[in-house]
Amino acid sequence: MSSRVFSVILLPTSECNVACDHCFEHKEPHRLSPALLPLLTKRLLDHLENERIEECEIYWQGGEAMIMGPDWFAHAGEVMDSAAAKRGRRFIHYLQTNLISYSPAWNDVIHGMFNGSIGTSMDYPNVYRKLFRGGAEAYTKLWTQRLHEAKAAGIEIGVIAVLHQASLEAGPEKFYRYFTEELGLGDFQVNTPFPGGPAKQLENDFKLDLGELARFLVGLFDIWIARGYASGVSLGPFDGLINHFTGKPARLLCIWKENCSNQFISVDSKGTVAQCDCWVTSYPEYFFGNVFHEPDLTRMLKTSRARRDFVERPKRLVRDEDCLSCRYLSICHGGCPVRTYGALGTMMAKDPLLRGLQSRLRLCRSSWPGNSAMPPRHRNINDRTPSVTVQPINIDFHQ
Amino acid sequence: MSEEAYQSLRILPSALAETQGDLSFVAIVRSRDELCRWLRDPPRGLKWLQVEGMLGDPYAWTEAAHSDSSVLLDLVLSDPSSEFSDLYKLVDACTVHDFRVTVPARPGLLKAVKLAAALSFPVRVLPGQPTAEVVAELKEVMDFYLHEPTVEAPVEFFHSLLATTCGADAGSLWMILEEDPAAFLQYDIDGQVRLPRSGSFKSVEFSPAEFVENHLKSLVQQGAECATCPWQQSCRGYFKWPDPSYSCEVVKELFSAIQAAADEIRRDLASCATANR
Repeated sequence: MSSRVFSVILLPTSECNVACDHCFEHKEPHRLSPALLPLLTKRLLDHLENERIEECEIYWQGGEAMIMGPDWFAHAGEVMDSAAAKRGRRFIHYLQTNLISYSPAWNDVIHGMFNGSIGTSMDYPNVYRKLFRGGAEAYTKLWTQRLHEAKAAGIEIGVIAVLHQASLEAGPEKFYRYFTEELGLGDFQVNTPFPGGPAKQLENDFKLDLGELARFLVGLFDIWIARGYASGVSLGPFDGLINHFTGKPARLLCIWKENCSNQFISVDSKGTVAQCDCWVTSYPEYFFGNVFHEPDLTRMLKTSRARRDFVERPKRLVRDEDCLSCRYLSICHGGCPVRTYGALGTMMAKDPLLRGLQSRLRLCRSSWPGNSAMPPRHRNINDRTPSVTVQPINIDFHQ
Repeated sequence: MSEEAYQSLRILPSALAETQGDLSFVAIVRSRDELCRWLRDPPRGLKWLQVEGMLGDPYAWTEAAHSDSSVLLDLVLSDPSSEFSDLYKLVDACTVHDFRVTVPARPGLLKAVKLAAALSFPVRVLPGQPTAEVVAELKEVMDFYLHEPTVEAPVEFFHSLLATTCGADAGSLWMILEEDPAAFLQYDIDGQVRLPRSGSFKSVEFSPAEFVENHLKSLVQQGAECATCPWQQSCRGYFKWPDPSYSCEVVKELFSAIQAAADEIRRDLASCATANR
């Protein structure tokens, strides 16, 4: 059996219970039927068998995943896990939620199916995440309350923050203190804006000045190294990059890998398959197929013309762009295809946010012990490669 | 075959390798079927597979990614300039197998080395008898290896040569590049022992174990520049094979640059030690 891990970003609904300004998803009140779960599970397990993969990570998100309710998830987990066990496979479940619907009724399923840990999102300051009634301020208040309730129930929480202009204006000091001191979090991650929806539209609405972004990231990194790194605060993606550059097992975001097409797919509540949640919710021209209509997921992925573009993209970029002359090729490979597509209307170009990304890389790289004078660590053909796992970015504006 | 030949690691075409059993060997594979055969059922003696002319076959790498074994794969490029971007095809398979990329010193080698390094593959550059144009590119490769901080895996022959100049015993270039017949014995499809970058052993009167030393002795006797070359210990006439009239002038600049880098590292380490006292 191969040691590879396959990941699925699974959207049981595209429905949402909040009204965030920057959400790119096409929302509709469609939910994954419990009656279709066994078929979906079968398709995934067939694919794992075809690919000789033992383990599949399921990243549940939406829309808003908690809309499905804890009983739905308990049932889904049971259906999927028991079917997997019968075929010598294993699903590992992760939940990304906006927390707004959290209640103690979720505790059993979170501690069981999700191993006591969930991911959520909050920006600083919160400008765009809004309730249908009450706006951003009410959202922040309710989310903070839910966060404290979940933490009190012994749930570990990782938070994703999407940077926007007001974050850069607030500065890294306030940003860092908000998450670590005000919220008391030891695990959070910064993401840059991701586009979705009609190409170029959202990118223009939420464009960040790359110089300001770089300065913010440099400042945030310095603060984290000075106050948080040694005391165990996990700040993504810096921590993963440092592990990667120091040869330790690293949990890297999808955008840092050679080619995301090798790592995961996304499936929505209707069975639509695409590269990731951004594609499946926004760009029908890049759908790979439908897992409920086509009997063989492996064949779908192998024959999809849309998917071929993802597979070919890094090759095209090293040939046609200047990626080979970039010292960060090893951790970039042209950057994120959806961010590129959203900004430029084509994925066959470099990620337009690379300058901002490079500032992060430069920081982490410079923290590599023994950076300046030592030759590469010796590895001959018999040495083993350190293990690297990949985490879909869960970037959601919409969470 | 002499007894000493059996002590070497044999590098054989796939069909010939079938009979090796537990003896240590490297199988050369040139088709998907050959690759799959060894991945499916690797005998104990198989040290690695030398994979030639298959980088463009995506199905081969899908099979490799599906295999249960973790056989080491040495992927040999033939034209780095046109093939380098296909290294991305190995991404899935390299989660199962460790790869090394062997790149002949031909135009475009820098591209292949850069991408291989970005994918964390160890690299073996086979310099052969490089033209002045290729030596210029080799210098760029060396500069990349020496000064690019994101390079994590060794780029041979620079890596071991640097280690040698820093006091390690990595052997001569022949050994570093796995071309010394005393340790790496290559066979052709007829089962004849073959000299590296050359034809069979038939016309050579000395044994594989003595080949390098006799080659060097012969060069010195013929008045070749090896006699007074400061890099003779590391080179042992590597660049004078198979054409003994090859001029080593530009190659010596490579050696000098490696020596300079080794001196720099030594000075850095000494100053660190002083500062830490």
